[in-house]
Amino acid sequence: MSGNGAVWRRVRSRFRAFPEHLAACEAEAVAYGKCVQASTAPGGRLSKDLCAREFAALRSCFVTAAKKSLKGGS
Amino acid sequence: MLRPWLRWCRWLRPGTARVLKENFGFRELASSVPPSGSTSPGALNIFDRGLKRKQKNWAALQPEPTRFDYLREEVGSQIADRVYDIARDFPLALDVGCGRGYIAQHLNKETIGKFFQTDIAENALKNSLETEIPTFSVLADEEFLPFQENTFDLVVSSLSLHWVNDLPRALEQIHYILKPDGVFVGAMFGGDTLYELRCSLQLAETEREGGFSPHVSPFTAVNDLGHLLGRAGFNTLTVDTDEIQVNYPGMFELMEDLQGMGESNCSWNRKALLHRDTMLAAAAVYREMYRNSDGSVPATYQIYHMIGWKYHDSQARPAERGSATVSFGELGKLNLTSQGKDSQ
Repeated sequence: MSGNGAVWRRVRSRFRAFPEHLAACEAEAVAYGKCVQASTAPGGRLSKDLCAREFAALRSCFVTAAKKSLKGGS
Repeated sequence: MLRPWLRWCRWLRPGTARVLKENFGFRELASSVPPSGSTSPGALNIFDRGLKRKQKNWAALQPEPTRFDYLREEVGSQIADRVYDIARDFPLALDVGCGRGYIAQHLNKETIGKFFQTDIAENALKNSLETEIPTFSVLADEEFLPFQENTFDLVVSSLSLHWVNDLPRALEQIHYILKPDGVFVGAMFGGDTLYELRCSLQLAETEREGGFSPHVSPFTAVNDLGHLLGRAGFNTLTVDTDEIQVNYPGMFELMEDLQGMGESNCSWNRKALLHRDTMLAAAAVYREMYRNSDGSVPATYQIYHMIGWKYHDSQARPAERGSATVSFGELGKLNLTSQGKDSQ
């Protein structure tokens, strides 16, 4: 049903690179994590896009790291 | 369709060879019907057992089978220790949900005469670990054990009962197939398992998508486990908890290891898709909220160990009311008297 598994392997190899890209964005990840953690304190309320700004920064850093490795790798 | 290694086995109930839910064949029982009938009233159908079978088969076919075995090895050796602690040997034993047979490799021929190993995944049974005990592999579902009443001296189960839909019925079946004065030694995942992963995913999904769906399967609470064992008919219960904390580089590695162990989610109500954004957010939250001082992230596995005995006349029973010969009030006097004797 899945043939030779080529698609799965390709997708999974991209997924395996996620930790490296995340490691390249330490500061943004910490900022986002702190924002979400602050909402769990008593009196805080977590709603959609509460930390959208921090996440946008994290995501753009992550995508940059991914593109860099893609260019560098291939 | 009978599996070849089941055909000759005289301990099987006739007509229940390949026991999966899809088998609508007749079940002719030579002995009495198990107490619960076809399903317990109010039995839940939470897990897709067919999918769990596929996941375990896939995991067993991975190129490096020992890479994800660490947790099962550890708990398997703990169960083997508990079996050794029981001052008895068991001519006939059964391992329910054995995987590759993590318990059998630690036991020896003197303690166990013959060992039956059952699992729903045939690939795991095919790659089973070396053991000196004569072993027979049976492909069976934990909820539909194809054995007659009063067959086994020992039933062990390591980390597989948390995927069972009808846990009361599974425990009742285990009680049914045990001989009187037989013992069940089991280990299953408990309520706090992977709470870090559960919380991180919940927070990230709420923040990113506005709501959340469960990604970690529901576990039994320790009180409920005691009640279930009692309800199944077990005597002299022992339930204790153990926590194993494993450190991972990050959330993605943890999720990959869980998939490699065959522990992926198979609930019917699982969400089919986990967005990359949500995964990224959850990894960041996990790291921030739970990381250790060296940068790794911990994952907690809470294991409940349980021991239950099937009733036999030789077992100790609570004494009759009013048969006490000494009172608790005399305890204090007891210590003084013995100290006095020692000093003399």
